[in-house]
Parts: sequence; structure tokens; C-alpha cells
Amino acid sequence: MRVLVIDPDPARAALVAEGLAGVDPLQVRQATTFDEREVLEFAPDVVVIASDSPDRDILESLRESSVSNPRPVVMFVDRSEPGLAEQAVRAGVAAYIVDGLSPARVRPILDVAMSRFALTQQLRGDLAKAKADLESRKTVERAKGLLMKERGLDEDGAYRLLRKLAMDKGRPIGAVAADLLAFANILKGDAS
Amino acid sequence: MSGLADLTLGFIPLTDCAPLVVAKSLGFFAEEGLEVTLSREASWATIRDKVAVGALDGAHMLAPMALAAGLGDDGVVAAPMLAPLALNLNGSAITVSTALADALRAVDPEGMAADTVTARPLARLIEARRGQGAPPLIFAVVFPYSMHSYALRYWLAQAGVDPDHDVRLVVTPPPRVVAHLQSGGIDGFCVGAPWNAVAVSEGVGEILIKASTFWPGGPDKVFGVTEAWAARRPDDLRAALRALIRASAWADEPGNHAELVALLSRPDHVGAEPEVLARALKQEIVFHRDAAGLPRREHALWFLSQMVRWGQVGPDLDLEAVADQVYRPDLFREAALSVGPVVEPAMVFADAPPPPPAALFDGAPFDPADSRGYAAGFAIGRVQG
Repeated sequence: MRVLVIDPDPARAALVAEGLAGVDPLQVRQATTFDEREVLEFAPDVVVIASDSPDRDILESLRESSVSNPRPVVMFVDRSEPGLAEQAVRAGVAAYIVDGLSPARVRPILDVAMSRFALTQQLRGDLAKAKADLESRKTVERAKGLLMKERGLDEDGAYRLLRKLAMDKGRPIGAVAADLLAFANILKGDAS
Repeated sequence: MSGLADLTLGFIPLTDCAPLVVAKSLGFFAEEGLEVTLSREASWATIRDKVAVGALDGAHMLAPMALAAGLGDDGVVAAPMLAPLALNLNGSAITVSTALADALRAVDPEGMAADTVTARPLARLIEARRGQGAPPLIFAVVFPYSMHSYALRYWLAQAGVDPDHDVRLVVTPPPRVVAHLQSGGIDGFCVGAPWNAVAVSEGVGEILIKASTFWPGGPDKVFGVTEAWAARRPDDLRAALRALIRASAWADEPGNHAELVALLSRPDHVGAEPEVLARALKQEIVFHRDAAGLPRREHALWFLSQMVRWGQVGPDLDLEAVADQVYRPDLFREAALSVGPVVEPAMVFADAPPPPPAALFDGAPFDPADSRGYAAGFAIGRVQG
């Protein structure tokens, strides 16, 4: 079975393709956009497409019975399993199959795609959080430096002061540090 | 908690998403007690599916897509939709590459200079190309169930060009049509604002006919929700309609256009150049005046007649029933009346004078009472037996 993965995000497409390699006897190809020549040449049985790809509407149009398209595609919705389509839509993935292919053969492919999409989302989330943490740590370091300079505190004293401010205000220490730096900038601006 | 209802509404980056963007950015939603998140989507199919499964509460939609959504098309999550508000009239156009425009002028200079450019020059050119064994010209639309698809098909067929045999119709996502026109991948397209103006301003395309000439005051996009959502959250729907009606009235005001253009040009909205957005606004698109917001039954029936004409729906479908189920002028009127003087009274009362009959550019009369007869009356069509 030949599966084409269309995803504007090449990293995610690679992850999906890699996951699919473990399923069935499969030939998997990935592309960032729908290219008609490539599709004709590869002749996929299943197209898995990210819902943030604008090319979904091209696949949608191939579902129309048209003269030039002898192998109509249908969007894969397994009616025996209510909720699956909803799950796929929420995961951000859709599958189109060449008419006549049994839904049972498509299901594992869609499962892999959905789980890999979820994994990417989690990885991205983790990365964003790690970045934010790092950013917050940097802000705290700078605020500490400011307090040490302006208030003559040592490093430990500066940190304790920040932590006290954070606890008094019930806000994260990173946010308090950012406020402090912003105010310091304004004051500096006024002085000059 | 604030007591505000949370809504997520989807849109496609096109000028006619303006009522949603305005209602959100100018605080009309918030004033109606709605906390709205706008979600920019990449395709119409995704809009349809997300609204169908409830991942979006409502969205900017192609009117025919809303009509087709409940028909249980194979492979689609069938969810009957409602169109309680029309987002705009006009706005699209048929544009061809400058090379094709030159070729058309060469075969039919009078036809190309006419006030209303028909597809006659194209019919002549296609005839000539056939003699030379040239490949068919390729035209793009953005979705099979769209005003753009039906307008292009109508315009071609009116001059004897069979859209399924004499040219090739393809689907191309709106943000890519200009690049494809430039690369020669397509020869022309019918798409909404601002992409026609973009093609012209980049010197790669020439507009042959605008929607406002094709069908003055013709329909285009709607605000769509599922029937189930509307039944579950009638108050939120009314609040959203009020905000969108106020936003549409605001967007029509020429004095607000500079601000509207600035809003739309933001990359998280349409993300096109302000100058081209401004051009389409000034020349074409109507959001509110002339009762633009009223989802008119005759518009729904015209769309359905074209679905019949091109074989998208079978002979057994009750067109009137579908039109009345999906198009809900009553919901619009109820919301519009409660907004007050922002809306012309003529458009909100059921006993208001009937609208002028639909007048397409070719003058062929459309009788909404006989939409199947209308669909079957064209020389070129694919009506299923």
C-alpha cells in the first residue's frame, strides 16, 4: 500500500512517515504541498494530510466525480466508529483514500498519524515551555544583578528579596523580575 | 469568572472575513458578552469539519458549502448547518493571466472592450487552440461548492464554453492563485478579494469581470453554525449575530476603511498589502447596506439550482426544503431588530417589499419558485436524470 503524507511541517511529516514505516507493507512518501505530477506518478492509495495545509481543498475537489479523474478519492470517515472522525479533526489530520479501499486497512494508518500529531504537539509544547523557563531564569538573573547593584545586596539577598516580592504579590518570580526590569528601564529613561 | 461565553470562530484569510475581525478587534463581541477567539484556518474543508465536530463554534463559510454540509455527502461528517447571516455581497472576480488577456484581445478586440466582458473571446480562442492541438486552458477556483465555482462555470457556459470539457477546472488555495498564475500553472481563476487585486497590482493578471457585474448584489460568504449548536446556544448565537451585524455596518462606512484595511492587513488576519485591500473595498464588496446581511431564500435556491445544473446533487433532493432549513432570515431579523437603528427597517420586516429579481449579466431570468426548471434550462449542464 502506498501512503502519501502532505504536511507543510516537514519535521512532523517525517515523524508520521517514520511511524507508518512500522505498519503493514507500506511505501511512504512525504511532501509539503500537493503536486499533481508527483501524485500521478506515485499513485497513492491513501493520502494523509495535515489540516493546516491549504492543499486540503484540492483533495476535496478530487472527490467530485470528474471526467479527468478516473480514481475518485473519498475522505476517510469510519462510520462504524463514531467519534473517530471527530478525534482526527481535533488532532489536525485528515485522510483521503482511493475509492474501494477497505476502511479496516486505513484505520491503523490514521491511528499512527493521529498519535504522531499528538506527539509533535506535546514536543512543541515542551519546547515552548523550556524556552519560557529559560527566558524566565535569564530575567531573574538580570533582576538579581540590578538589585545587587542598586541595593548593595549579595546574590543570595537579591534572590530572597525577589522571592519575597513574588510571594507577597502571589505572582511567579519570573513575572516579578520582568516588572522590576521594566520599571528600572522607565526610571533610567526618565533620568536621561 | 467574567460571565462571558467563550466562542471560537474560524475564518479564511480573505477580505470578506472582515465582519468577524472587526467584531473581535473593536470589541463588539465583548460588548455582547462574548469572549471570542478567532482561528485562522487553512482550508474550507477544515472549516467545515471543525464546525461539524464542534472544534469551532461557527465560521466564515462559503454559502454553498453550508447548504451542502447537511446532505450527507460520502465521507463527510454530516452535520446540518445554518446560515443565519450573509457576510457580504460581491467581492470576487474572474481574472486571467496578462498573456491570456492579450491573446483574447487578439481574437476578439470588441468582446474584450465591452462593458460586460463575456467568455465570447475565450470561446473563440479555445476554438482556435483546438485547431492547433494546444492543451486546454486551466482555470482555478477555491472550492467545488462555492460562488466562485458557479460564477466561473456560468460565465464560461453562457458563451458556449463547457467548463468540464473545453477547459480544465482545478482547485487552488487562494493564497497560491497569484503565484500559479505567474508561473503559468493556471491561466485564470475566480476567487474572492483581495487576490484579484493582488494579481493586477503585481502585473500578472487582468480582471475580466467582477462579481458586481456578473450579478449585481450577488451572494458570496455566510456566517455558518451547526443546527445543533444553534439549538443548544440560542442566546450566544443571537449575541454573535448582533455583534457581526454591527461590525458589518461599521465595515461599510467609507470613513472606517483606513482602519479596516489596517486591521485586515495584519498577518494574523488576511496579511495582504494595504493598498490592494483598499482597492477591493472601495470598488466592490458590500457587507451591510442594501440588506446585505439578510440570508435570502432566493440566493440559497440559486446556489442549489447550480448544484443541480452541474450534477452535484441528484434529482430527488427537495431544494426548497434545504433552502429553508439552512438559510434562516428569521434569525437574522430577530437579531437585527434588537440591534436597533443601525439596520435599515426595510430589511428586517417580513412584509418588506420583495428584493429586485436576481439579474445576472446575461439577463436570463431566475425564478426561485422553479429552480429545477431553471437548472434544466441551460444549453450546457450535467443535470442528473
